[in-house]
Amino acid sequence: MTTSMISIRGVSKSFGDNHVLSNLDLEVKKGEFLVLLGASGCGKSTLLNLMAGFEKPTQGSVSVNGKRIDDVTSACGMVFQQYALFPWQTVQQNVEFGLKMKKMPKGERAEIARRFIEMVGLKGSEDKYPQALSGGMKQRVSIARVLANDPDVMLFDEPFAALDAMTRQVLQDQLLSIYEQSGKTIVFITHSIDEALMLSTRMVIMGSRPGRVVQDLRNELPHPRTAEIQLSEDFISLKRSIWETVQEEVGRTLAVTRG
Amino acid sequence: MAEVVKPRKSAGSLAWLSVLSLLGFLAAWELICRSGAVDPIFLPPPSQVWARASTMFGQGTLLGHVLASTRRVMVGFLAAAAVAIPLGIWLGTSRIARAIFDPVISFLRPLPSMSWIPLSLLWFGINETQKYSIVFMGSFVPALLYVMEATRSIDPLLIRAARNLGAQRWQVMREVLLPGCLPQIISGMKIILGLSWTCVISAELVAAKEGLGFMIMNGKEFFQTDTVVLGMVLISFTVLATDLVVRALERWLLAWQR
Repeated sequence: MTTSMISIRGVSKSFGDNHVLSNLDLEVKKGEFLVLLGASGCGKSTLLNLMAGFEKPTQGSVSVNGKRIDDVTSACGMVFQQYALFPWQTVQQNVEFGLKMKKMPKGERAEIARRFIEMVGLKGSEDKYPQALSGGMKQRVSIARVLANDPDVMLFDEPFAALDAMTRQVLQDQLLSIYEQSGKTIVFITHSIDEALMLSTRMVIMGSRPGRVVQDLRNELPHPRTAEIQLSEDFISLKRSIWETVQEEVGRTLAVTRG
Repeated sequence: MAEVVKPRKSAGSLAWLSVLSLLGFLAAWELICRSGAVDPIFLPPPSQVWARASTMFGQGTLLGHVLASTRRVMVGFLAAAAVAIPLGIWLGTSRIARAIFDPVISFLRPLPSMSWIPLSLLWFGINETQKYSIVFMGSFVPALLYVMEATRSIDPLLIRAARNLGAQRWQVMREVLLPGCLPQIISGMKIILGLSWTCVISAELVAAKEGLGFMIMNGKEFFQTDTVVLGMVLISFTVLATDLVVRALERWLLAWQR
């Protein structure tokens, strides 16, 4: 039996008069790769921030691995779109950061960091500073930094949006293989339907004003998800179904805004 | 059009220009004094200042004055920085702490270090502690304000990332805020160090038994204008020398920026 890793129950979140999320329920199973898909302003980032404990819900509760989230928690490791690497630390030191905070002995944490630096394909760059790295390399350091900290859940906030198409493709492949190796539960935000289809085991499409779940579907496309899969019948029909939902939502939002 | 684009002067030839300008300045000074246009009691020529320097160096007093002032600056400045850096980081990030300390800081801020001299003399007497305290009082509040301002330069996303990786509040201060603000803190501290020199000289001008400020005041008492000028030259040289040391330290601490 698969157990629930993240439980979101009756969550609403408002910033003043701005109701970002309204009475939202969502269960994420252990080991799922959930992609949250939606136009900007649908509250998907807010939802991610609630899971990480950066924000507190106005109503309802968020639990991760059975524990209620009421402060920033390292149980949910976040990979930010802008990398958020510490510029004064080398790649090695960045990846060791979480372990150093836990007071793990030097030798032990260096060993773990090396393993994850190798996993993301950055062996040989351990002593470089972030400013010497390309965007794609920075994002891989950021992923290794979260992996080394061994969280229950990995949260990705549009991590590849700032990268060029080629780099994005390489990182998507790499993330899939990391997901398969580590078995982590992943919640990933994007507004690219293709990215969602390539990565996820499950997709949740969100609507805006206020943010809520409008479609929740399993993605059973076969692995490995190569470029050819994008030409398959299943891929295209899933994409069409999502596109229709998204279009309807965007149209509705525009009508509301105009009205 | 061709002559508009001049080749850039190399660093070497520009350095020579600086050396020539210095020599020209010294020569003009010497000539004006020798011509008899200025009474040496008001302004002695460079040669006389140099002669005074070698005499005092021979007597062994010169180095003593330089070292006394340098030690006072270092002790006072380092004590001020050691308190101001952690306190400034804390005040920069905690609104509660700012609310508590704001009235005290607002009261201390406008006070020049000179205004502390009478009280410090009463409290400590004419001794080293009194000199340290003047340097401390003169540098502490400006240093604190610099550090508080520096904490604003940090990207809030880095603090968020650190917290997400499990850093506790004090760990965020030590591991993220301090190294992240270090470039701004160091450039602030360079200015504060200059300020510390002003403090020590004023303290020594008022009451001291050695030091460059004392040397200047003592020269004036005995109408030894060359001693006065020599003291001023030495202050300038010592400050320049400490600046070089600080720059080297800065390059070492901020190696990651290159």
